[in-house]
Amino acid sequence: MSAAAPAPRVFFREAIGRALAEAMGSDPTLVLFGQDIGRFGGAYREFTGLFERFGAQRVRDTPVAEAAMIGIGVGAAAAGLRALVSITYMDFLMLGLDPLVNYAAKACYKTGGQVRVPLVVKATAGARGQGVAHSQCIEAWLMSVPGLTVVAPATVADAYGLLKSALRHDGPVVFVDHKRLYPTAGELPTDAAEVPFGQARVCRRGDAVTLVAHAYMVRVALAAADELAREGIACDVVDLRSLAPLDVATLAASVARTGALVTVEEGQATCGVGAEVAARVREARGGEPFRVARVAALPAPVSSNPILEAACLPDAARVTTAVRTLLS
Amino acid sequence: MLYQLAVPTPIEDVEELRVLEWHVAPGHAFAPGDLVVELETHKAVVEVRAARAGIVRSILAPVGDWQRLGRPLAVVSDTVDEPLPDAADTLAVMHVDFEVT
Repeated sequence: MSAAAPAPRVFFREAIGRALAEAMGSDPTLVLFGQDIGRFGGAYREFTGLFERFGAQRVRDTPVAEAAMIGIGVGAAAAGLRALVSITYMDFLMLGLDPLVNYAAKACYKTGGQVRVPLVVKATAGARGQGVAHSQCIEAWLMSVPGLTVVAPATVADAYGLLKSALRHDGPVVFVDHKRLYPTAGELPTDAAEVPFGQARVCRRGDAVTLVAHAYMVRVALAAADELAREGIACDVVDLRSLAPLDVATLAASVARTGALVTVEEGQATCGVGAEVAARVREARGGEPFRVARVAALPAPVSSNPILEAACLPDAARVTTAVRTLLS
Repeated sequence: MLYQLAVPTPIEDVEELRVLEWHVAPGHAFAPGDLVVELETHKAVVEVRAARAGIVRSILAPVGDWQRLGRPLAVVSDTVDEPLPDAADTLAVMHVDFEVT
């Protein structure tokens, strides 16, 4: 076996930037829309260099008008282009739900497959000190929309691989990039592959309990698993990567071994990702019993007060407590 | 006396960063206030300036290398002839001034 060069280490934003640059290079129909994505390079510098390389026609700065941004993206995609619309705060995706849900997600069905909408909505989610309307994770709302794909990377490699897949998909995709992942770095091989939709990633093996998370909460789940390992509780940690479609087979196989499921998410528990995961695993497991607990944000808005923000959101301590309670 | 030049702390939101540019080469001296090294975070540049005079003896993290907060980037000393240690971790941390822009 030849010695491979070590994979370059890059920031999360650089993985996104590389995926965008490669896709724009290979697909001349791809157009980007977003606030401050031009010369400024994006709120997290993830668009750095794209304006200079591909020009103002393809890297379009927009006003603060999310409904129009997504509406234009849907129209452009339906008319034959491929569009990525960047929503700086996922909270404001709410303004664009009509074109996304009523047009983009339904176009293929309404036209008997004649109209495809190759649209990616990149929506930056999560709490980082910015208060009630700039902190939300509403990806669970989107999981129930037929025709919509929803993905949420937790790592640098998956940010690249899922975005590459999204930028080749022929239907609308919501790509959730959690803002607390932007300070992170990771290995991204020069020959990094696309990550297919609907494939979860088992990132830690254990037989006592299955922890399921996505996006930034994978790091929280892994931190909890580290702590629980010191007590002799071995966690299977599953990173969903793709929320719609869900990789129920991987989830059910893990729960078949552990007999216990703890879901972890930054959004709300009610009708949340964990509720859906638990129900789908229950259906897949038939009559086989297993224990379930959900860890999610408290049922309150996320405050801009850092103490109250931290109190609202799941952390490793809440996850370990949930696991110990479930297993006791 | 020998010191380690370490990644300064705290830098909000940052766990690790990348060496962008060294402004003092090994064997060269720096004065208080000199820009010694620039570091790149996920969205900013950290200028690290010497708070005292010294000589860069050995660069442990060349341009493009990654390092975590508080970890050593270089070995520095007061005089050019002090023998270098095997490990930089145990050396006193040289005081620096730094600005995140």
